[in-house]
Amino acid sequence: MPSSRGIRLAVTTVTLALATSACGLGSSGSSPGADAASPTGKVGGTITLETLQLKPTFTDYMTGVIAAYEKDHPGTKVNWVDIPFQGAQEKLTADAAAGALPDVVNLNPQFAQALEAKDLFIDMDKGASDVKSAYVPGAWDAFKVPGKDGSFALPWYLTSEVTMYNKDLFTKAGLDPQKPPASFDELLADGAKLSAAGKGSFFGIHPALENRFITDLAKQGVPLLDASGKKWTFNTPDAAAYLQKLVDAYKGGVYPQDSLTQNHSKENEAYQAGRIGLLPSGPNFLAVIKKNAAAIAANTGVGPQITGASGATNMSVMGLLVPKASKNQATAMDFAKYLSDAQNQLAFSKIVTILPSTLSSLKDPYFSTDGDGSPESKARKISAAQIATAKNLVPVQYDSRVTAAVIGKVQLALQGKLTPSRRSTRLSRKPTRSAAPPADARPARRPTASPKSRRAHDHRCGWHSPWPPAPVPSRKPRPSSTD
Amino acid sequence: MTGRRWYVPWLFLLPALAVAVAFFIVPFANTAVLSFTDASTLGGGTFTGTRNYARLWSDDQFWLSVRNTLLYIAVVVPLLVALPLGLALLVQKRVAGIGFFRAVFYSPVVASMVVAGLIWSWLLSSDGLVNSVLRGLHVIAAPLPFLTDSRLLLFSSMAMTVWKGLGYYMVVYLAALANVPKSLLEAAEVDGAGPVRRFFHVTLPLVRPTMVLVATLAAIGSAKVFAEVFTLSDGSAGPGGEARTLVYTIREVGLGLGGEAGYASAMSIVLFLGTLGLSVAVTRLNTREERA
Repeated sequence: MPSSRGIRLAVTTVTLALATSACGLGSSGSSPGADAASPTGKVGGTITLETLQLKPTFTDYMTGVIAAYEKDHPGTKVNWVDIPFQGAQEKLTADAAAGALPDVVNLNPQFAQALEAKDLFIDMDKGASDVKSAYVPGAWDAFKVPGKDGSFALPWYLTSEVTMYNKDLFTKAGLDPQKPPASFDELLADGAKLSAAGKGSFFGIHPALENRFITDLAKQGVPLLDASGKKWTFNTPDAAAYLQKLVDAYKGGVYPQDSLTQNHSKENEAYQAGRIGLLPSGPNFLAVIKKNAAAIAANTGVGPQITGASGATNMSVMGLLVPKASKNQATAMDFAKYLSDAQNQLAFSKIVTILPSTLSSLKDPYFSTDGDGSPESKARKISAAQIATAKNLVPVQYDSRVTAAVIGKVQLALQGKLTPSRRSTRLSRKPTRSAAPPADARPARRPTASPKSRRAHDHRCGWHSPWPPAPVPSRKPRPSSTD
Repeated sequence: MTGRRWYVPWLFLLPALAVAVAFFIVPFANTAVLSFTDASTLGGGTFTGTRNYARLWSDDQFWLSVRNTLLYIAVVVPLLVALPLGLALLVQKRVAGIGFFRAVFYSPVVASMVVAGLIWSWLLSSDGLVNSVLRGLHVIAAPLPFLTDSRLLLFSSMAMTVWKGLGYYMVVYLAALANVPKSLLEAAEVDGAGPVRRFFHVTLPLVRPTMVLVATLAAIGSAKVFAEVFTLSDGSAGPGGEARTLVYTIREVGLGLGGEAGYASAMSIVLFLGTLGLSVAVTRLNTREERA
């Protein structure tokens, strides 16, 4: 018979062990609301708008637009909720599971895709067909889900990456401070010269793999996904050759050693600290650099987006989505149209270096002149010129899990633990779950981060958002945000 | 016995019972149920029997996590049993200024994990303090990849865990050492036992139950390790995620819009059973030795 002490100890150990495993991964049903393809009804009442990290920088703009809308539409009230990037995915997942998504929600395509696939949002092809022609076609199409009809967001604002560089470091490395790299080969060559000149005190480039690798493959004409949208196809000699260049660059000290597992936010921090000379990124980051590192901003030059064999340029899109579960769809849709109309987007673009998704706004002379000659003006002009032909090059299936799986293997390749050709073979052996594998396919190998990501979710967050995360150090993978 | 009613003790228990049910029993039961479904983080899920558990057998990432977690336990637990005891012996004596040292050794315990992660990242980065010192002393020619080599990252995380736990277990040992009867130590000294023999033959046997407690707690903590690996690797668990631990994998699988709550729950249950087994084994070993 066990002693009472033994029983007490056993109970204690059970309780301790229980506490370790009660992860609380709860589930609750989510049921999309009625399929209201084209919301009808009177505009009025209260709605909630949820945005990603616009406060406090753009509080005045947003409250101004909301106040103007409420004034134009008596009886309406818009509650604005702004959430930070970090944790946004978890919050939206919980909201979606609880059927409590806001009436209008601001997402990017990669992030929205999982929710769109669950049929949670109104199809804008039907619900907002009257305004479809007002938007940049590529931006509108960015919110399509493979295998499904329709597009599920009104495009809000866009960015198209430019190449920022530190002119001081260029001079120190013997490079022409007026001539930024224009191709991937030039980027790596300039990066090598900068790193050699820095001798460890500064480097040429940061790989920011989770943010850039797959986009760079697409720019070089590497096919990413087959027509069915179910199989990744980037296991090509071109991809292997490009990866080999990255391997050589890492071995050659072109990248900082610790950058291997770091994300885009670390790249931004490194640029602002004068630790790297080149930063291919969204022009909206110029404002962040100016705020955090005025001396670096003063020495920052900008050039066009680096392109590859395909000549394609990439753009990132933010959209406004209206859940089917919204109890006030008519007002939600009306407000989403208002917030993303030409006038309001133009006003927004004049506050920060982003581009409007409305065709008429893009014709404004503001986007075709150098303005005051500042890097921001130059970047605006460059990115506006690029946007006409730019596309969202990254398939929406390239979500945080796929990102983490791919980048994990690329990291190993850079360390010499996988050869580039073997890496790409391993990556494309199976379709990923998010790319809708056949029912009998074994679920994709768990991603390596996110998460990183994940993270990145990681879970690495492989978002391709045009928006800058707050420039504070973070240990958690941050939403990537480039072009 | 007048005025006593059977339900009165339960009324006193009720608040604690409610908390336990709401925050431990129900989530655990929910996790157990989910582990037999294909539920996602967006809800839903149908009963799939033991498919999630069967899937674990062929999941390389899961077994990598298990191996790393076991390695973590194997390295960290002995260190956390031995080092704090040594530290406690050092700061046990009441001498001038000893309070300062006790506070210093305890300070990592109260530091947040994020702060600890930042400190250790700065220490171990390629241009961090450790590499700079080693290079300055010409011990190494190139920086050691503490944060970008999976195995080194795992050991760096272990160092951080030990650093953070030292102070806590030191306090636990200080309490145990204070309960060692001085008369026994004095008697041993009279019998001619030196400090080492007094420690091994008097102090250690009396402190052994505390060592078992520390080992159990350290093992449970090591089985659950997550933050150290996450913070030191920028959330990546190293190149290719090869330094992943079990909780890291559970989090990765179970969270996010594409999260698989069912599969992650199955992993959680396995972790629970493993931790429970570990705790019971340590407790039983101790009980058996006490009886012997």
